Amino acid sequence: MVKSTGFVAAVLFGLLATPTLAQDAPVLTIYTYDGFAAEWGPGPALKAGFEAICGGCSVEWIAADSSIGTLRRVQLEGDTTQADLIVGLDTAIAGEARATGLFADHGLDLSGLTLPEAWTDAQFVPFDYAHFAFVYDSDSVATPPKSFEELIALPADFKIAIQDPRSATPGLGLVLWIRAAYGDRAPEIWAGLKPHILTITREWSESYNLFLTGEADMALSYTTSPAYHIIAEDDQTIHAALFDEGHLAQTEVAGILKSSQHQELARQFLAYLSSAEGQKIMPSTNWMMPVTDLGDALDPVFKALPQPSTTLTLTDAEIAANAKAWIDEMLTAVQ
Amino acid sequence: MLTLPVRPARIAIAIGLALAIVGLIALVLWAILAAATGSEGTASRIDIPHLLRMTTLQASLTTVLSLTVGMALAWALNRLRFPGRDLLVGLFASAIVTPGMVVAFGLLDIWGRNGWINQASDALLGFPLGNPAFGLSGILLAHVILDGAFAARILLARLDAIPAERLKTGQSLGLTAQQRFAILDWPAMRGTMPGLAAIIFLLAFTSFPIVLLLGGGPGNQTLEVAIYAAVRQDFDLTGAVHLALTQIAVCSGVILIAAALAPIPTSFGASIAPTWRDRPLARVLQTLILLTCSIGFVLPLASVLVDGLGTGMGSLLTQSTFWQAALSSLLIGTASAILTLALALGLALGRAATDHGILRTLLGMPVFAYLAVPAVVLSLGFFLLVRNLGVAPAAAAPFVVILANSLLALPFAIATLGPPLEAIARTRGKLIRSLDLSGWRQFITVEYPLLGKDIGVMLALAFCFSLGDLGVVALFGTQDFQTLPLMMFRALGSYRSNDAAAIAAILLVGTIIAFVGLPRLFSRIANAAR
Repeated sequence: MVKSTGFVAAVLFGLLATPTLAQDAPVLTIYTYDGFAAEWGPGPALKAGFEAICGGCSVEWIAADSSIGTLRRVQLEGDTTQADLIVGLDTAIAGEARATGLFADHGLDLSGLTLPEAWTDAQFVPFDYAHFAFVYDSDSVATPPKSFEELIALPADFKIAIQDPRSATPGLGLVLWIRAAYGDRAPEIWAGLKPHILTITREWSESYNLFLTGEADMALSYTTSPAYHIIAEDDQTIHAALFDEGHLAQTEVAGILKSSQHQELARQFLAYLSSAEGQKIMPSTNWMMPVTDLGDALDPVFKALPQPSTTLTLTDAEIAANAKAWIDEMLTAVQ
Repeated sequence: MLTLPVRPARIAIAIGLALAIVGLIALVLWAILAAATGSEGTASRIDIPHLLRMTTLQASLTTVLSLTVGMALAWALNRLRFPGRDLLVGLFASAIVTPGMVVAFGLLDIWGRNGWINQASDALLGFPLGNPAFGLSGILLAHVILDGAFAARILLARLDAIPAERLKTGQSLGLTAQQRFAILDWPAMRGTMPGLAAIIFLLAFTSFPIVLLLGGGPGNQTLEVAIYAAVRQDFDLTGAVHLALTQIAVCSGVILIAAALAPIPTSFGASIAPTWRDRPLARVLQTLILLTCSIGFVLPLASVLVDGLGTGMGSLLTQSTFWQAALSSLLIGTASAILTLALALGLALGRAATDHGILRTLLGMPVFAYLAVPAVVLSLGFFLLVRNLGVAPAAAAPFVVILANSLLALPFAIATLGPPLEAIARTRGKLIRSLDLSGWRQFITVEYPLLGKDIGVMLALAFCFSLGDLGVVALFGTQDFQTLPLMMFRALGSYRSNDAAAIAAILLVGTIIAFVGLPRLFSRIANAAR
């Protein structure tokens, strides 16, 4: 018995010990969410790409369970954090992240990016984006709604699956989207949506699975979701429903921590991440749009994705000041 | 009652373990409060009384339904013999240790709008039957599938352990099916009931993803959801600890009742496969119960297997990360099963060795501690503790997961091992005293041989819990350390639902193998030792 537990411990140590690295090579430690660091995510390719050009550094991903989890972890760790960078926050929590005072200015010139809006943030560097949208299957939904109001007007057995704004990024995105589109009419829209809400799940993946298994007619996701099904599964039936009100975009961002000992290296990483070389990796691994013009290097499937005519926006300050009240408003309306 | 052998060492070990568990929970909460100083707490926006009312209602209904279904199913399984029975018993037991989301999606495959039942009725009758899978009914259905089948497994173990001589006496007296249940079955199951009820209540009270997935909206949420929001979204650590304490307080009431009420079982002995059949009417009822439960419980799991054995399996098996994750899961499951066995024996032997009512209650309570504490709070607290100790979280992750999984499995282990140990101490106490056996000899010559099969069931439970649990790794996150469930959720979060379905099927198969194999194996080993 003793022998076997000793063996288990030894194997565990062997299996899990982080590889010891040569003293002289700087290690860039990056916190991210787990899908980003997964073997099919952008993490491994970005690591390889950056290590090839940084002149003897190495990149270590540390994956938390969610994007907000990375922020909470550095908040808990404060100045003692190992992290040099966080990759994977988004514009909905950027204001809150900025307010922690933990992030340094990136000092990069980002005027060449091709986002829906010009990028002016001093701390955070965008690395991909997509608009929030409801996805539908054209085999079962012939005429998708073209606005929230059309969705509300559909029969009550037309069901949507959405996410809890307190636990899932797109769930918060929908709250902000409706607020950006309808302002103070938001509670009215939520009350109208209520009969159509099949359920409010904890994670995006659960809503999306409800949609894929046919339990819900539409799920809250991204305009880029159809690209996965076309490229990975050769399935042309999944589409994003474009709404006339316009769509809010989720832009994923990265930032350098002030406490990092490798400020210059971290800056180089951000420059690489937002360069064409780094951006080439994003579309087919993270299933989001690149933030630079990749020209022919962008898969034609992404180029052909229908894009919303209007991009709605809310400022960091508005979000940081009102998000809690808006979430309450939504929870009350659908209660 | 001087028949109990004097075992001060056993009692001391049990008290030590109980204090250690309570101390650990206190440390976890303290670590969070210590970290919270400085972070401003926002006023709670949550209607706590409403959440408590809803959660208590839902958990009470779940408990009553699960125990009723579990009892009926155990009764039917105990009486009926048919090919594939062991496999079916294994399948029933596997529900509770399969990740809740997997079972919930299996349920939707059958009962959902687009599920088998609605498709069948649409094809046969021309209209779908509707969608009972969402709202309170959906939550209850999922919980009863998880917990009722589990209750049946534990209760079946008690029925199977009814001594052969009692059955022979009963048969020769010509007891009717009702009399047999009241005189023989119920006393055998009664000892496990309070513990089982407490476990099921706590599981339902703290249920999170299922409640969100099938609840249909914020009206059906649990306190656990509010605590999650306080920790993750509002980062209000003080508020989170207060909410956690509220949950612990409510749960402690339930635990206290369970720990105090658990009666002491009085019969235990070698059992054999019964030859005593109930009358035809009872057998028809038993067959009906079994058929209904099989359709209700086994079909959702079968659909998980069907989904998983499809397109995803081939590509999954070629991924090296899958094999790494599988190895990690096996090692962690084995380690935590062994740790659970040690903890459960330590606590249960000590508790069985005393007649002191208050001491018995106090020793019974910490067993459930882990179920009452919200997972997100434990995860955060363990993370802070590990950091305060100066250990890198990534290096500590596997050990924390093993410990956490063991504590999670502990109440189930005690529900399995506690009643037979109590019964042995009481029925064999005089003999042990007259032979003047030492505590060690008592365990090796008396308790272990009689417990063999129960130890197998318990190890299977603990192993599978560990296999299926996401545990507390959330904040520890490292890319190098992943278990199968973690890999499954990562795959789900990246559109890769085929991979996820395949992993779910593999987890389920592993669980069934463990449940069918381990009890047999340990029964054989223990009998060989005798």
